[in-house]
Amino acid sequence: MKNLILKNRYTLLLSVLSVYVVVVVIEGALTDREPDLLRFDNSLFTLDLRDIGELGDFSIDL
Amino acid sequence: MDKIAWSQFQGLLKREVLEHRNLFIWAPVILGLLIFVIDFLIITSLAEENKIAFVTYLARFFNGGSPMEMSGVFVFPTLPFLGILYICAILYLTNTLYQDRREMSVLFWQSMPVSSLNTVLSKVVTIVLIAPLFYVAVVFALYLIGILWLIVSGLIYDVEVAGLGYMFLSAVFSLPVVYLFAATSALWLLPFIGWLLLFSAFANRTPLLWAIGSLALILFLEGFIFGSQFLSNWIETRSDIDNFLIIEFGGIFDRLFSYDMLIGIGIGSIFICGAVYMRRFVD
Repeated sequence: MKNLILKNRYTLLLSVLSVYVVVVVIEGALTDREPDLLRFDNSLFTLDLRDIGELGDFSIDL
Repeated sequence: MDKIAWSQFQGLLKREVLEHRNLFIWAPVILGLLIFVIDFLIITSLAEENKIAFVTYLARFFNGGSPMEMSGVFVFPTLPFLGILYICAILYLTNTLYQDRREMSVLFWQSMPVSSLNTVLSKVVTIVLIAPLFYVAVVFALYLIGILWLIVSGLIYDVEVAGLGYMFLSAVFSLPVVYLFAATSALWLLPFIGWLLLFSAFANRTPLLWAIGSLALILFLEGFIFGSQFLSNWIETRSDIDNFLIIEFGGIFDRLFSYDMLIGIGIGSIFICGAVYMRRFVD
């Protein structure tokens, strides 16, 4: 198995990418992961860019 | 790690900094100079009463405030530096192992008593822990110059400058936050770091294109074959800007000790491991 993986650079790359895909897909299926993009939430302000139409609700808590 | 191995590792770190000083030292210095010149031009164009109002406002704003709490205000001006740090990190990670092979210096380093693991780890440590140090040092120099200018202006215009002392303390307290912010976000982005290192060690030419193209291909194949979006969901979650933006000490610990950080480090380690083994293939 080790010899097959380390046969050349392409087999090694394919093995690494396969492990990556398997781990991420299993982890995603187990945790039911949803994308959480463009959301700022901290002590100074809260902003969710997914609600781009409601930017009037932008609040600063200084 | 024994003393000899540690000194070898330090030597590798020094080598990385010296060979890439344009990215780690000169890039933040040039950005700092640019910001200084722009600020200088803006301030000198202000009327005298506006300058007095500006110094008075800042002195009152910070006066009596807790430097720890106010330090968050000083994190936002560092965002351009962090942006440049990320750009330089992408350039560095994409080219570093590729350059070693292209110049054939990889043969020299493999003939030395230095393992490929240490060589690749030195590159990761350089980008996660060492590079942010230079950026934070330049930010500190800028803050120092700015606050000194405010103090001198306050004394000239006879404005109460006690609040500027609090401002200085807030700026100083913000520096470890900025450094830990940069280091934590680099750890958060360890899968991207590992991905770029893997393709830097793999590609015979244009490693960045290989890295982007392979990612696009994998995402396409997942959607095409399985009809799922786990990979793109994972990448989107990892690219969430909220996970980069840390403006207080508490935020850093929340990020560091989380499940998402752990799984990211695990997946990053897979790529880094691949990059280490990939170094044995030298054409």
